[in-house]
Amino acid sequence: MVLDLTMSMAILALMGALATIAGCLEDLESDVGSQSNPNSQVQLAPQMGFLHRIYNKAISGEPISNGLSAVTGGTVTAVLLSAKFYPLTAIVIGALIAAFIYGIYATTSYAGRVASQTRFKQPLYMDIMRYTTPSIIAHNFIVNFCLVAIAYIQYEILGYPFTIPFLALIWGISVGAIGSSVGDVHYGAEREFQNREFGCGLNTALSGRIVRKAESGLRNSIDNVWFCAKFGGPATGIGLGLTVFFSSWPTTLFGYTWNAIGVGVLIVAVMVVLNRLVEINVKNAYGPYKEEKNEKEVKA
Amino acid sequence: MVAIDPTIITNILLIAISGTLICIAVHFIPVGGAPAAMAQATGIGTGTVELAAGSGLVGLITASYMYANEPTASMVLVLAAGAMGSMVMLASTMFAGSLIYAFGVGVPFASAQIKKDPITGTRQDIYMSKGTQGQGLPTVCFVSGIIGAALGGAGGGLIYYVLVKLYSQSVLIGPSAAAVAGVFTMGVFYVNAVIPSYGVGGTIEGFHDPKFRRVLPKDAFTSFVVSMICGVVAVMIGGGLI
Amino acid sequence: MSDIKERAPNQLMIFGIVGGLLGIYLTYILPLAGEQLGEKVAIFLKTIAPVAGALGAMCAVVWGADAVRRVAKYGLGTGVPSIGQIAMGMGIVAAMFGLAIVKTLVLAGPIVALITASIIGFIIGWFAQNVIKMKIPVMIRCMTEIAAAGTIIIIGFSAAVAGNFEFANIIKLVFDNGVILAVFWVGAVAVLHPFNACLGPDEKQKRLLYLAGSTGAITMAIVGIAATMTLGASGVITLIIGIILWLIFYKKFWDEVYNDAASVVGTGLIPKTEA
Repeated sequence: MVLDLTMSMAILALMGALATIAGCLEDLESDVGSQSNPNSQVQLAPQMGFLHRIYNKAISGEPISNGLSAVTGGTVTAVLLSAKFYPLTAIVIGALIAAFIYGIYATTSYAGRVASQTRFKQPLYMDIMRYTTPSIIAHNFIVNFCLVAIAYIQYEILGYPFTIPFLALIWGISVGAIGSSVGDVHYGAEREFQNREFGCGLNTALSGRIVRKAESGLRNSIDNVWFCAKFGGPATGIGLGLTVFFSSWPTTLFGYTWNAIGVGVLIVAVMVVLNRLVEINVKNAYGPYKEEKNEKEVKA
Repeated sequence: MVAIDPTIITNILLIAISGTLICIAVHFIPVGGAPAAMAQATGIGTGTVELAAGSGLVGLITASYMYANEPTASMVLVLAAGAMGSMVMLASTMFAGSLIYAFGVGVPFASAQIKKDPITGTRQDIYMSKGTQGQGLPTVCFVSGIIGAALGGAGGGLIYYVLVKLYSQSVLIGPSAAAVAGVFTMGVFYVNAVIPSYGVGGTIEGFHDPKFRRVLPKDAFTSFVVSMICGVVAVMIGGGLI
Repeated sequence: MSDIKERAPNQLMIFGIVGGLLGIYLTYILPLAGEQLGEKVAIFLKTIAPVAGALGAMCAVVWGADAVRRVAKYGLGTGVPSIGQIAMGMGIVAAMFGLAIVKTLVLAGPIVALITASIIGFIIGWFAQNVIKMKIPVMIRCMTEIAAAGTIIIIGFSAAVAGNFEFANIIKLVFDNGVILAVFWVGAVAVLHPFNACLGPDEKQKRLLYLAGSTGAITMAIVGIAATMTLGASGVITLIIGIILWLIFYKKFWDEVYNDAASVVGTGLIPKTEA
């Protein structure tokens, strides 16, 4: 449908907000289930003798698993919409069914991976299974809802040529890629190895030595997500929100012309500059690592 | 024997080129794999396939939207729209990632493969923390990623453009041209994103990495051949020969 | 049973190909047979025909999951997901090709798609092994198998949603509304997930195959939900049979987990180890 500028901008703002929430919750869901790259450390720990109570979920990586739940949500929503359900109801039911299916995959992953670590004597804790899986389902429900809502808005209101399942799948893959790149670093480099000094990368010699004893009691995934919700989650939300917003903002404002492309390139250039500013700021604030600095002075 | 129409050859060649573009794009995007997610290696902490596919598919959305709204748009404009969408996604991702590395983990950015950043001239080796292969996203990696995203988005947009034009004239597919072209683009995208990830071995820092010059030729060649086959298949789907 | 006998790759390959093709062709043949036999039987056969397609695709899921297991055991370097993605990518390209180019000889469609997928899989496997130098002994064979399994999965589940595998039907009922993406993606995860979820030194084929049956059944259920939109009653039957099969395979999977795991405890502290 043809919309005037105010309405287009309002819809774009709504999409940006939904994307921010989806990004944040996706990262938190991958933290409460310990998915993707930091999970390689969780997988490694029993091998080094460090048994743990962390939910070892591995559904082939975040882009694929979030794509799975998004496309399922999109398909069920499309089915319900064709049965003349009210759009909001359809999206909610679709997201819920997709989240349940996702939960099933999560349980099989935890059970399967622990059952394949028999020789390291890693136990399968059923209480972890019981209270973490609903948390995973809940996080995933919100992600699905937001992504399918974005897909619905793009298909029905903005007139994109792809259907709801297709758009939901693409946003699912994107949110997974962004969550895996951004928020997982906060979980993997910071929270998982919090017993080390702040401000250095993970020394290869420390592989597998994840934190298993928490602030009070034994650490589990719910503790991890509590921490990552303070920075990792919101940063991921910013990533996806900026993506959804800025990929459509130039064409909404400047029409389908070369001007819009130019504005898009300008936005990207601004981000390059911002990255450089962060880099300089951090280098000046932290300084080089001590051993090398001494080496440099000796050489000079 | 079917008479070989020059437009068919052009289409097949364009599809082969776009597949190769996607393959080349994967080499530019700085990916560190699982170690980067633990600040043990430079680059983005995810897999090569996933990030390339994610950004390319966002490019596909923007390119298809541009084409749907402006059917008279030139091929270059559609490609540029695809490149823009892809670049925006990767820039946002890398920027948000930088924030985490800088303030969440507290590490300066450093590349393990070079002594001095070619674009800004800052020294890299003294900022590398002990026992790691660099961390974070120095400016050269960021710029390399942007270039890669542009190529990937353009490649995806090109396949979509060629196919949607081809299929909208087909008797068999006609009105569903966008859907079929979109699905086919996704298939070719994944095939062409996985081939370079096998060649690269999972991690690459960008165009300044010595690995770049080593693996790019054979990956690009493989991609060209495979995309040519996919191009032939695509053209025949539109035609319906037997 | 102390002696763990693994199922041979050839056994699973025959299961996947024969089961898959049988299911796909039944979606076409059953309604035809029904027309010869009378009204009530015709309606009944027409309703259950698409279910056969989904069941055939499930056979291919089990086969594909085992092929992924064989090649991923060598350590692919980029992870298991990428091989599943490339396989499904090839599978969908080959499926579209095979079904589209057979205009007069519709029955040949799935076989053409299968052969095309195997050829493309062979070529990519050959390039990966010899040009990119991956150095994995079973790469060429497994890549071919995964691509072929991917094609059967896509055609089987698409037939379950569209009623049969005629390309015009599939375009109208599966591509147009976007359900093909669900078939593509959920089918890919169904093939990838079993090995990824059972990753570890004590991975057992039996547990993996049950998990493959479970993921295949979930895919069947989702396809059934989509089919309620396109076909009506057939979709409901596909959904119900999918849920029943899932319950069976999920229970069997958990039995194996209880068998294989070091210990399954309600709750507890971390056991003392040498570390």
